[in-house]
Amino acid sequence: MSEAEMMSEIKDANLNYLMLAQQMIRADKVTAIFRLGISADIADLLEGLSNFQILKLSSSNMLLARFRFEDSAILSMLTDYTKDRSLANAHSAILLSGQPA
Amino acid sequence: MKQANVKKSVVSEGEQIQLATEMINLGARLQLLEAQTTLSRERLIKLYKELKGASPPKGMLPFSTDWFLTWQPNIHSSIFLNIYDYLLKYAGASDITAILKAYSLYLQQVGHDSEEEPVLSLTRAWTLIRYVDSKMLKLKSCSCCEGKFVVNAYDLNNNYLCNLCHIPSRAGKTKKAKELQYKLVSAAA
Repeated sequence: MSEAEMMSEIKDANLNYLMLAQQMIRADKVTAIFRLGISADIADLLEGLSNFQILKLSSSNMLLARFRFEDSAILSMLTDYTKDRSLANAHSAILLSGQPA
Repeated sequence: MKQANVKKSVVSEGEQIQLATEMINLGARLQLLEAQTTLSRERLIKLYKELKGASPPKGMLPFSTDWFLTWQPNIHSSIFLNIYDYLLKYAGASDITAILKAYSLYLQQVGHDSEEEPVLSLTRAWTLIRYVDSKMLKLKSCSCCEGKFVVNAYDLNNNYLCNLCHIPSRAGKTKKAKELQYKLVSAAA
């Protein structure tokens, strides 16, 4: 993947993320706040963005969404579940919803 | 009459019926419906029969806190309670709507399909919230993964290790799990 391709992929990801987030918030704000892991203020802001604003915001060379597992120890534990995938899902659900928005 | 002083309004009754419908579809017992809506018992029974095609189950609700501490139920109720807390704290939801939203999120989170019964029923989820509100159960951070899990508020919980970091030796080895295993093996062979 060339540098230019990577940049355009990042922009695509940003645009996808913002559009999905906005749709989720408009459909059901409470559920969307949980699924996206954002605060209510940010949700209100994203909900009101115009298409042009979303396009402008997404055309950056850096990803707008952040990885939600910040602790490397926990992440390695979750990826090391060998026996049961449903347990890994349960564990990550508990850990993610325990994080502050 | 519980709500004798409240003026009867058709709109609010419509809302109550909608709420009760949603709860019945999620599997609520009659006691829960009576506690959370202003509709009369007769109307609720009628609604229940219309939606489910059968009379509501009779008898008392499960009342033990121990159930929430056994292995699989503990994991499931911890998922639900974490989601519920998140909705209260960050999404501004409250009361029964928070419980219903958290419960549907929980069902999606554990990948529940409508054929089999979920581990945590809506009625149990509601009981869990009541236990937490009355400080019989609480959430405690695991000292290994820092995830929060349901524990008895009166147990000694220093250096608490959660059920997922420290899986008990016989956990999950039920008859049902074994049958499923056999099925998978014979399907693969």
